Amino acid sequence: MRVLKPFHIFFQLVLLLLFCAINIWAQSVEPGWVKGEVSSYNNETLPGVNIVVKELGKGTTTNIEGQFEIAALPAGNYTLLASCIGFQPFEQKIQVIAGETTKLSLTLKEESYLINDVLVTGKSATRRVIEQAYQVASVSTKDLFNSTADAKAVMNRISGVRIQEEGGLGSDFNFTLNGFSGDQVKFFMDGIPMDNFGAVNLGDLPVNMIERIDVYKGVVPVWLGTDALGGAVNIITNRREKYLDASYSLGSFNTHRASLNGAYTNNETGFTIRGNLFYNYSDNDYKVWARIVENNTVVDTAWVRRFHDRYQSASVKLETGYVNKPFADNLLLGLMLTANDKQVQHGATMNTVYGGIIRNSKSAVPTLKFNKKNLWREGLDVSLFSAFNITQSEVIDTLSGVRYNWRGDKTVLTNNNGQASADGEFYRTFTTLDEQELNSQLNVSYALGARSSLAFNYAYNYFHREAFDTEHPDNIDNRFPKSLQKQVLGLAFKFDPDRRLSTTVFGKMYHIKAKTSKEFDFALETQRIEEVQNKQANFGYGLASTWFVLPELQLKLSYEHTSRMPMPEEIFGDGLFVDANPDLGPEQSNNFNLGAEYRFKLYSIHQFAVGSSLVYRDAKDLIYTVVTVSSPKTHYDNLSKTRVVGFESNFMYKWKDIVNVGANVTYQDITDRARRIYNESYTGTGWQQNFHYGFRLPNKPYLFANLNAGLNLADLATPASTLGFNYYLNFVERYFLTWTELGAGNGKYVIPRQLSQDVELSYSWKRGKYNVSAECRNLFDSKLYDKYYLQKPGRAISIKLRYTI
Amino acid sequence: MRHLVKFRSLMFVFLLAGMSQFFAACSDDDDPVPEEEYNGEEAYVLSLAYQGTDGNFTYYTVQFDDVMSGSLSAVGKGIDQLGYYSYNQIDDKIYATGGFELTDIVAMEKNASGQLEESGGVSSFANSLNDVIKGEDGSLVAIEMSSSSDVVTLHRIDAETVTVQDSKTTAVSNLTDSIGPSYSGMVQTGDYIFVSYYISNPTSYATNSTDSAEVAVFTYPGLDFVKVISDDRTGPVGGFGTAAGLIKDGNGNVYVLSHSNPANGYSKYTQDAAILRINSGETTFDPDYIFDFNEVTDGKTTAHMVYLGGNKVFVEMNTQDRSEQVAWADGPLKPAILDLGAKTINYVEGVPEHAGIGRKLAASTLLDDGYIYMVVPEAESLFVYRVDTENYTATKGAEVQANFIAGFFKL
Repeated sequence: MRVLKPFHIFFQLVLLLLFCAINIWAQSVEPGWVKGEVSSYNNETLPGVNIVVKELGKGTTTNIEGQFEIAALPAGNYTLLASCIGFQPFEQKIQVIAGETTKLSLTLKEESYLINDVLVTGKSATRRVIEQAYQVASVSTKDLFNSTADAKAVMNRISGVRIQEEGGLGSDFNFTLNGFSGDQVKFFMDGIPMDNFGAVNLGDLPVNMIERIDVYKGVVPVWLGTDALGGAVNIITNRREKYLDASYSLGSFNTHRASLNGAYTNNETGFTIRGNLFYNYSDNDYKVWARIVENNTVVDTAWVRRFHDRYQSASVKLETGYVNKPFADNLLLGLMLTANDKQVQHGATMNTVYGGIIRNSKSAVPTLKFNKKNLWREGLDVSLFSAFNITQSEVIDTLSGVRYNWRGDKTVLTNNNGQASADGEFYRTFTTLDEQELNSQLNVSYALGARSSLAFNYAYNYFHREAFDTEHPDNIDNRFPKSLQKQVLGLAFKFDPDRRLSTTVFGKMYHIKAKTSKEFDFALETQRIEEVQNKQANFGYGLASTWFVLPELQLKLSYEHTSRMPMPEEIFGDGLFVDANPDLGPEQSNNFNLGAEYRFKLYSIHQFAVGSSLVYRDAKDLIYTVVTVSSPKTHYDNLSKTRVVGFESNFMYKWKDIVNVGANVTYQDITDRARRIYNESYTGTGWQQNFHYGFRLPNKPYLFANLNAGLNLADLATPASTLGFNYYLNFVERYFLTWTELGAGNGKYVIPRQLSQDVELSYSWKRGKYNVSAECRNLFDSKLYDKYYLQKPGRAISIKLRYTI
Repeated sequence: MRHLVKFRSLMFVFLLAGMSQFFAACSDDDDPVPEEEYNGEEAYVLSLAYQGTDGNFTYYTVQFDDVMSGSLSAVGKGIDQLGYYSYNQIDDKIYATGGFELTDIVAMEKNASGQLEESGGVSSFANSLNDVIKGEDGSLVAIEMSSSSDVVTLHRIDAETVTVQDSKTTAVSNLTDSIGPSYSGMVQTGDYIFVSYYISNPTSYATNSTDSAEVAVFTYPGLDFVKVISDDRTGPVGGFGTAAGLIKDGNGNVYVLSHSNPANGYSKYTQDAAILRINSGETTFDPDYIFDFNEVTDGKTTAHMVYLGGNKVFVEMNTQDRSEQVAWADGPLKPAILDLGAKTINYVEGVPEHAGIGRKLAASTLLDDGYIYMVVPEAESLFVYRVDTENYTATKGAEVQANFIAGFFKL
């Protein structure tokens, strides 16, 4: 080393001279480039860092990988400024050489001007998401890779989120975010809407394919172009450049889950290929407490195994293309193939039991992802995500006159002529739904300087559905497909007047065009089929602001006036029971969040985070079916109003990397705010007093909490090994299925208080290459319910084997 | 200094936390309503339906001592039942059928301390029961008949234990060659059960055969299918949801109502509205009896009938001619009393013209001591009216704080 040093200095001098010479020669001829990466002291790359060339006022921001590029700079010496909320500003002299790219690696130091013993902490990707001005919860799956959890289970531990499940693996569920559910909350996968991702069920997605899940509460950034009334969820899949993660788990109720995830990238050529593959299977034959009916009589109530609830799903997702090339930072073509197959055990309650109803669906989703920083000029970042989704699904109820009871005994309804009835178990049908959907998201952002930026979003969605029921070929619904074209335009202006303050104001415009055909003048000479369409536009706007009062104390304020545009079924009806309402407008809501988060370290080994937020939602024009008591026909109208006043709080403590404890609690008071209801035809005006005004909405949990504790012991038996133990507790306060203010309250319609506990034990060795874990869900075999007393699995044990490179 | 900063920051976070307590405190208002002592007297029992903004209904069956003043509501009282229910009082019990994905039959009766109590719920059927009536032997007779099913099932149910004694299933093809017979009425008299129906397409609700009245005859207590009797002096019997196609008088004669009202689910009508009769013990229409609405009421029709006694029937006349009626409206209605023997009509004065709910009038009115108690929707509220069936007058009573009533009984 010592021998080399003089040579090293000499070499550097030669290079410097050489560069200077070239510089002088080239200055008037060719521009130069600056490229680099910004990271924290902990080697975490930092996205969203403002980079400015002081002398020229030119600038850009770093991408999600912390990289930046400034093109076409005249050769010369400059000062480069880097600034980011929560970090000390950084300055570096740079030299731009004509025709060459200057590569830089900048390291930012976390702001710590007040307290000496606050150590600089690298911000994880999730932490960076959380620090946005939006009220967002971000969960990294990093610590969950050895668990058998899926996307649904991960989200159910987030404050404000409650997932009401109908059963075990593959069951239908209702995702509720601050009281909003169904179409009011929109789902994305890597920024692509998955509203109609057909065969993809959140319960299918294994944690190993997910990097993190971001839940935007009430206020949704414009780059997720959508008409969400109550928030949005973005699932970010794994995007490491080179890895392999293979896992298999086996659990109670004959549950198998296998997943294989990997990526390969050639750093020289930029060629990349990424893949995710998973397969899930379960008999879901867990025991339920159910009444047994024989010969029209309830003969017993007993613990019985579910007998018609098998579920399987499989998916292959492949993406290939180029990364980090001059023409694109990412240019990826992908294809996702998914299929699932589900037996249906019961209806909306367990009072009806089925033994032959089946649902299945399969879909193919080709995708295109392109993004480029500094396209055409510095600071201009463009991304385009597109997906085309082709889904076919079937609902089959073709057993003739068969009725099952909970013991699995089958009886056949036979008439006086000795023939079996042809009635289905629920409603005889063999319906095939063909759906196509095109989704495109174009995002353009432009840095106006070091302190402000503009973002523009254009989202296009086209949805087309055709249904055919072979058992009822004459159904009107068979003949008239429906389509919806939805466009969302968004514009946001982000302004950071100071390193501690950041504000985004935004506006959104929604436009829909719904189409179907209708038959007019049935059985008359003028009988004809005509196309009908409905066009409407609406606006939304909002603001998200954050202020770091101290480097550790962050305040957040966000507001959005949101809309959820009506669906074709809601506008056109189904031609049978549901009449059209061409005047149907969007559901609207004013969503408001106020939050504070305090994160600090004590004696460098104790890490704390405490946060709380107030949630206020004032939703109106909610779309509900109009009841016509004297007729079977209904239609949709903008009738209902609800208000959510809620509160969420979370706590986290970490001791070194060994112990972690976390907890969150959510309280939400969701009340009916409609003064009047509409009840067609019964009263003179159709309007009646809403006797539930001010009452809490039934069947919505209002108080729930999660607690988790973990212990990680490294190098216990062998070096580079880890022994992990995790404990999870989930609490839901009892809630009511009917309005509590009415009736004597005999406890008939109460979902009792529920407490479930899960434990996980895992062991990894060779730096996480080999992993074995065992877990037990619902440790104490509690009776868990959701929705209308639908029982969820009791104690379930599973083991998981995982191999990673 | 640094601890102070931490303390202040924590305090701020907790301040937000504290605000939640305020919201929590605002929402606690579960005051129990004190129950009155039971003195053995009968009370009015109303099954009140409350519509949620989501369009779902919850029913509350509540006792009231006085229905002629004040307001009647289910706040803090009553037996709640979630889903779509129908109620029928038979003797000293109210039978609730339906529910949310339930096909049970539940009885409600007064216990020793005068409180309403539920019993039964041990019978469960392949499809929902359309109706429950009283059999002359004290059993209940219930029927499953759906326009989308190819079978009709009759049940005989023990009124006390609410358990099924016997069931018989008949192919719809025995009743009609068309698809979609919809239930419209049932009576049991002597050795027979009469069931009326009309043909309604299960998907389009179009009523394509309206040329004759058809009634199916079953044996009792055997529940075996006998035959279908038909009469082309009038159109199909009964209408959507009203279950008033057939009524029985005190002598066991059966009156058969045909209105073909567009306001009650008919997409067309081809016959005049009329009431026919099946004489006690017979299984054929009496060819000599017809109550012709054209003659008696000037063509105005009714879809609702409640038998009062002495050949008199309480009805809700639709004030519009069939040609003017709004489809599915079940209104506008005006109460009247028909004399089936004298073939006369007397309109009841003092009840405003009102909208209907298309449900069984016999369940939502109470005949008590010569009075009919009914609930009438006015501009935006409902009111009890007591109709004097002798003098054809009415008195307005209490306001009903509910969206509609599904039952008006006395226990």
